[in-house]
Amino acid sequence: MSGKVGAVVVMFVGLFAACVPLQAHHGNASFDVSKHPTVKGIVTEYVWANPHVYLKFDAKDENGQVQHWVVEASNPPDQTRQGWTKFSFKPGDEVEITMGSVARNGQPIGRFGFRGGIILNGKPFPPGAENAGDTGETVPKQ
Amino acid sequence: MAKCPMLSAIVLLACFFVPAVHAQLNDQPKGVAEELAKRKWNNSPPVKSFYSGQKNHGPAPVRDLSGIWDGTAEGGGQFKGPILHPALYPGSRADDDAGHPDETGVVNPLPFTAAGLEALKKNKPGDGVRAVDVANTNDPVDYGNPSGFPRMLFYELRVIELTQTKNQIIMLDEFDQHWRHIWTDGRPLPDINDVEPRFFGYSVGKWTDDYTFEADTVGVDDKTWLDNVGRPHSYDMSVHEIWHRVDYDKIELTVTVDDPKYYSEKWTGLNKLVLHRLSDDFDMEEFIYNGVETEDYNKSVAGEAARSGKPAK
Repeated sequence: MSGKVGAVVVMFVGLFAACVPLQAHHGNASFDVSKHPTVKGIVTEYVWANPHVYLKFDAKDENGQVQHWVVEASNPPDQTRQGWTKFSFKPGDEVEITMGSVARNGQPIGRFGFRGGIILNGKPFPPGAENAGDTGETVPKQ
Repeated sequence: MAKCPMLSAIVLLACFFVPAVHAQLNDQPKGVAEELAKRKWNNSPPVKSFYSGQKNHGPAPVRDLSGIWDGTAEGGGQFKGPILHPALYPGSRADDDAGHPDETGVVNPLPFTAAGLEALKKNKPGDGVRAVDVANTNDPVDYGNPSGFPRMLFYELRVIELTQTKNQIIMLDEFDQHWRHIWTDGRPLPDINDVEPRFFGYSVGKWTDDYTFEADTVGVDDKTWLDNVGRPHSYDMSVHEIWHRVDYDKIELTVTVDDPKYYSEKWTGLNKLVLHRLSDDFDMEEFIYNGVETEDYNKSVAGEAARSGKPAK
């Protein structure tokens, strides 16, 4: 697996306006919302649960050491509205994630929320996410 | 409110900032909406822009609130507190503020009494200007308690179903699958000294005209919080709700808190919040904070993020 694990690319992206607030029952007290590193790795576990959906993946740091990242999303209803499902990720998937924020304590923990910040097996996830906020109409069921 | 220009200005200011807090709930990748609309089970409510172009289905039926209603699109999540009283500083981004000892300087501050302020400081929320690390909150909801009333209206007011019987209006809440009932059989409110405290209190209501239903609630257990940012209430609190059926497609909800022990005057948390009617076959998702999953989350994410260590690079 280690051969598939990409190097950690830390990019402190200046496009702060592209960072979407993550909806949650708690705020960002433990997270630094000004840092948006991009990390590439291999999914080890995907948890679809309350209060938060989260994704675990392994990535190598700049010293070649494998880090076990955990990235949290919002709750299942919010993620459903964003086009996620319980089956969106599976172990072995390649992901490249630009974090919406990262843990202040330096642990490999982040939060989603950076618009267009998920590349899953080489493609933007969810499809169309890079254009989120443009139109986003829901077809009526009236 | 119109009699107080300063208060009106503050409320307007608050309303200006709150939409940013709820941006994500009304932000959806292209194509996702069409996929969601095909679903028969576990539906997701539309984004706000849908409702503005929605076909009007006619006038309000007489004395009827029944149906499935969406508070999500208009900001019912209320993660920073009730829409009119968010625990945010003027001009701040939604997630900039945390760790402050009190709410001094927030937009549209609440009129705490000395006892109210003391109670506020005992509550350690995970959100708002007083937010602490998730692992260090004492939010009852994080420990498996029900959100209670009126927090069910001031937090995660997403999809609800209202149904009416001969003697009750019953509210089914997607969040945590709570329910409450409002008696409409003419009984008076109980003396709170004669009944045991309840998470959701004791509610009675009546139609004040053919399209307006008003309810009062007392007897709420003071272990519950009013909102997601730790605002307290005493056992003496009463809450007044106005549910106004505007037309077939909309209800406007107004909620006012009266708790002289903790607040020097009544305050309104929601003023005509619009709830949009969803289709009759809308199937609510399960949205339940349960002990096992919460413990796993706290162990894997929240606890680790809050653990002391080196600062982020």
